[in-house]
Amino acid sequence: MPVALKIFISALLINNIILMRFIALCPYIGMSTDVKQSIGMGFAVTFVMVMASTVTWALYHFVLLPLGLEFLQILVFILIIASLVQLVEYYLKKSAPALYLSMGIYLPLITTNCAILAVTFDNITAAYTFFQSIVYSIGVALGFTLAMVLLAGLRNRIRTAAIPPFLRGNPILFVLSSLVAVSFMGFAGLIK
Amino acid sequence: MSIIFVTLAVSFILAFILGIGLGFFREKFNVPRDKKTEQIRAALPGANCGACGFPGCDAYAEAVGKEETTPDRCSVGGTATAKALAEILGVTIEAEDKVVVLMCQGTKDRAPEKAEYVGIKTCAAVKLSAGGIKLCAWGCYGFGDCERACPFDAIHVGVDGIPHVDYEKCTGCGKCVTACPQKVLSLVPRNRTGSIPLCSNRNPIKAMVRKTCSVGCFKCELCVRSCPEKAIHMENGLPVVDYTKCKSHAVCVAKCPTHVFKLLEKGVFTEGEEMPSGEEPVLSETASKDTR
Repeated sequence: MPVALKIFISALLINNIILMRFIALCPYIGMSTDVKQSIGMGFAVTFVMVMASTVTWALYHFVLLPLGLEFLQILVFILIIASLVQLVEYYLKKSAPALYLSMGIYLPLITTNCAILAVTFDNITAAYTFFQSIVYSIGVALGFTLAMVLLAGLRNRIRTAAIPPFLRGNPILFVLSSLVAVSFMGFAGLIK
Repeated sequence: MSIIFVTLAVSFILAFILGIGLGFFREKFNVPRDKKTEQIRAALPGANCGACGFPGCDAYAEAVGKEETTPDRCSVGGTATAKALAEILGVTIEAEDKVVVLMCQGTKDRAPEKAEYVGIKTCAAVKLSAGGIKLCAWGCYGFGDCERACPFDAIHVGVDGIPHVDYEKCTGCGKCVTACPQKVLSLVPRNRTGSIPLCSNRNPIKAMVRKTCSVGCFKCELCVRSCPEKAIHMENGLPVVDYTKCKSHAVCVAKCPTHVFKLLEKGVFTEGEEMPSGEEPVLSETASKDTR
């Protein structure tokens, strides 16, 4: 199996960013009220994640590393992601208003999405090449979308369930997520 | 020592470039908005909550500016914002304070249940699993989905098996209207006067209506014929009152053979206090004796 495919599968299923690593739980709980909405959020995240890992990878390898400023990565990456999201918003508003409208409020929300920052750090710590880091970010973003859609579907199913009063609202969502997470553990042996 | 300067220099340069870049792109990709939209945007609260149904305040301002939607959709700003927007647009809107009314009088004894239900005690579950428990397919189930949805403690299911609204507490937020699977709750302006038909049964067969509910509308259209102001017409099998014409003569209230009509100012908003046409109060336990 090619390395890129391994990276992709492991980011998508085995090390699913939400269900296995518990990153980006806030949009996961907050935006999964219905399937359509979660798909919209998922695509917005995919878009920004790929952009962010492209730019931060280049910046790290061509600026920070030669100057010996690796410790600046948190500061710099946050700065880059925030401006990138803003820039993409301007661009989409002008050149693709339909896409801008469909992404709507999700785009600015992604500015503070911790999954994006986590992916840019992963690219550095795992020492991925440029191509691999792109593949990795796509995998993570699709894994994020998958988890969101799964939870959105489950939320629909528990609408009529008789939930004990002390579990109503967010608690039951976390119980649900943990069950999905347990089922995702089954993917652990997928790649040797 | 030099590392500090390099750090400072790199962060400064990066921030500078990004700042300039963003400013440049903002100008370059600037979508010109007309002055009206600009004004409307300034009048909106800027919470970007999306409660109006648009992605954010910008999108809503644009839609209002193009007059694609009404200026009263911002629930954060409420009536104050709606009035401000209407002023900018140069139109007048009646920012109405609304309350919820139950369009059903099918208490336990008036509208019999078709079977005993022992499932999950929510209206949504009853509708999904058994298709409702009342013989009347349009009536209120009385499991209190509205009561649970109400953030103001303003609606309660009484002993008679249908919800009653506390009009001092009701703010007209409409959460119960969304929560109700039967769609028997409807929002009505608080200061409206006139008669209102409190039935949602659309069954056109008289015998079927009579069998399922003692206070159901069976489409005799007596109200339409007897109204001195000609304010009532039938729409989808139910009487609809034109409130620009209704003068609260209460002829329909008196004439309706199944007592479907009530006056908003006398019978609905002051529920249980003063009932037109000598009908017994709905609220109390005395309602359990229905002689009709």
